[in-house]
Amino acid sequence: MWRGFSYLLKKDFKMMLSSKFFLLALCSVVLYSCYINYVYINLDQDIYPVYLYDPHNTQHIVSEHVTKVDTRAALEEACEDEYSVGVDLSTVTPEVYMLSSGIETTDYLRGIYAEKVVSSGVEEQAEIIGTNDKELKNRREITAEFLFFELSAVGFLGLAAMLFKEKQMGVIRVHGVLPVCKSAFILSKLCWILLSDVLFTILLTLINIGVENGISILPAVLIQAGILSLIMALAGFLCAVCLPDFKQFSLFYLIIAIFITTPVFLAGQTGIEWGWIVYHPMYHLFVGMKSAYFAAPAPAYPYYLICTGVIVLLFLFAHRALTNEMAKEG
Amino acid sequence: MNGLKYQLKSIRRDKMCILTFLLPIIVGIAINFLSGASFQTMSETSFGVLENDLSDEAVLWLQKSGTLTQYENVDELQAAVNNPSTQVIGVLKSDDGIKTLLSGDELEVNRILGNALPEIYKNRMNELDFERTVIPVVHNTDGLKALLITITLVTAMFMGCTFNAMNIISEKEDGVAFINMVLPLDTKTYIIQKILLGFVGGTASTILTALICMRIKLCDVFPFLVLVSLSAYIAALIGLFVGHFSDGLMVGIVYIKIIMILFIAPPIFFYLVTSVGSIPYYFSFILPSSATFYGLMNLVRGQSQNLWVILFMLLIHTVIWSVVYGKIKKFK
Repeated sequence: MWRGFSYLLKKDFKMMLSSKFFLLALCSVVLYSCYINYVYINLDQDIYPVYLYDPHNTQHIVSEHVTKVDTRAALEEACEDEYSVGVDLSTVTPEVYMLSSGIETTDYLRGIYAEKVVSSGVEEQAEIIGTNDKELKNRREITAEFLFFELSAVGFLGLAAMLFKEKQMGVIRVHGVLPVCKSAFILSKLCWILLSDVLFTILLTLINIGVENGISILPAVLIQAGILSLIMALAGFLCAVCLPDFKQFSLFYLIIAIFITTPVFLAGQTGIEWGWIVYHPMYHLFVGMKSAYFAAPAPAYPYYLICTGVIVLLFLFAHRALTNEMAKEG
Repeated sequence: MNGLKYQLKSIRRDKMCILTFLLPIIVGIAINFLSGASFQTMSETSFGVLENDLSDEAVLWLQKSGTLTQYENVDELQAAVNNPSTQVIGVLKSDDGIKTLLSGDELEVNRILGNALPEIYKNRMNELDFERTVIPVVHNTDGLKALLITITLVTAMFMGCTFNAMNIISEKEDGVAFINMVLPLDTKTYIIQKILLGFVGGTASTILTALICMRIKLCDVFPFLVLVSLSAYIAALIGLFVGHFSDGLMVGIVYIKIIMILFIAPPIFFYLVTSVGSIPYYFSFILPSSATFYGLMNLVRGQSQNLWVILFMLLIHTVIWSVVYGKIKKFK
């Protein structure tokens, strides 16, 4: 039994090598890390630029957030982006000038901010209660997202691509007569996918969060990554056995990407309030992953129980589907 | 006409083709669910306060400046401020007005506003000293939503391309292409039938999606229909090109992916970066989808300037590509 399993492992490893599975994963790590380090951490939304037209020089101290302009026309031109605010001190009553941003509350806030910054500047007065600065938060956030998307795609597509290849080659038919149990057939594939996902997770986390912060969160992250990887790989296996060809399978994947991962991403990322999202199973996986990255308290025990249950169920279904398929193939 | 009936019958068996047309409609419905309000709240500044903590006046003042959420205790408020996916500024009562809580990971705009808020609050009496001029700008739909709708519609139109390409490639793979050569069916009829299929599908899918998520003025309906028909025709024609040049399904999928990316990404980029009338703007008309994109964006946002230029550009594309395809087929 064990000898058979080790040969299956060898065969699957060779298949993954020949389909350039590991190379693709490594390329993704490089690509994601470049994006995170050169683009994402620099994203920011600046404060409303304030332009001041003050021909009589009534304001002596000008804050660093204020830019002086020489004419009224220049002031109006600077405000054309619907974001900047102009303050005109040339007349008796000072005037705040802006183009509406389309949101009344934001316009009001822009106005009172400009009045304040022109008259006395801004001091650091707020109490800081968090532990992350903006860069570290961005790093944790985007790494969690990339890992979630990548794991939900790689396990699903990778395993399916392998299985379709085997189907085409007729390996499934051959397996029907081999003295190896069907669980070993599924397990050997799962082992490799899990191993590659774990390596992927470790690399992505350490490169982008840094070694010191990374190691402290790694155990929690690896548990979440393992759960997600197993669930998606088993789901991919099940779909690949049931669907007849890769064409239909890729369409199925498209549907998963659009309707299953995108809403989760929107709800988890932008703070849009959707009550129904708690019924979305992937949402909990995403939240689990994200809280692992932010070193927040881990989900409660029922979550792990349900995840284990789902994995066992999916495994049983996959086993059954494979048995049926082998019976069909003769 | 009889040929067309069989073409339609052959589609009925291909679930993937049917789904490619249904997909944009489903996405359209999904976009409709994301109401404008939820996009708007996203771009508003949000404040978190404790129940029964601030004076009514301060609460009203905060509500004028952004969205306000009340929390039962300090822990909940701190958790909301620290939540990495939101940008909540915590506001508490202090001896001489208000004080603010920040997590430290906010965007610059919220960090500075959070820091300045207590002073701004103290200053609020002086507001009357300033005269306010807010120039209204026409914002028919939220920018992000308009962009999403347009992308969906452009995708819907170019579904005709995917559909035709897939159809022809599977005919090639199944060997029907050879049978077609034996049949008494001339090239012209074949092309017309194929284009008609993708065209009808693309147009129907676009119009249905538009009905779901777009409100256009009555006078814009005619230009809209012309725009959709021309674009759907071009898309169907491109599908024929892809079908012509690809041998296997995998190659076809790669071509379609490239075309989809090429047709959707550059117009968005040009739309965001260039201004109307600049040289890169006219340069971007090399891609037919740019013209479609600009036209739709104008219609979604309720502006109908430049529309005739865009339609004229599409017409030129239609003529050029039809001639090129005819020549290729004849050459073969």
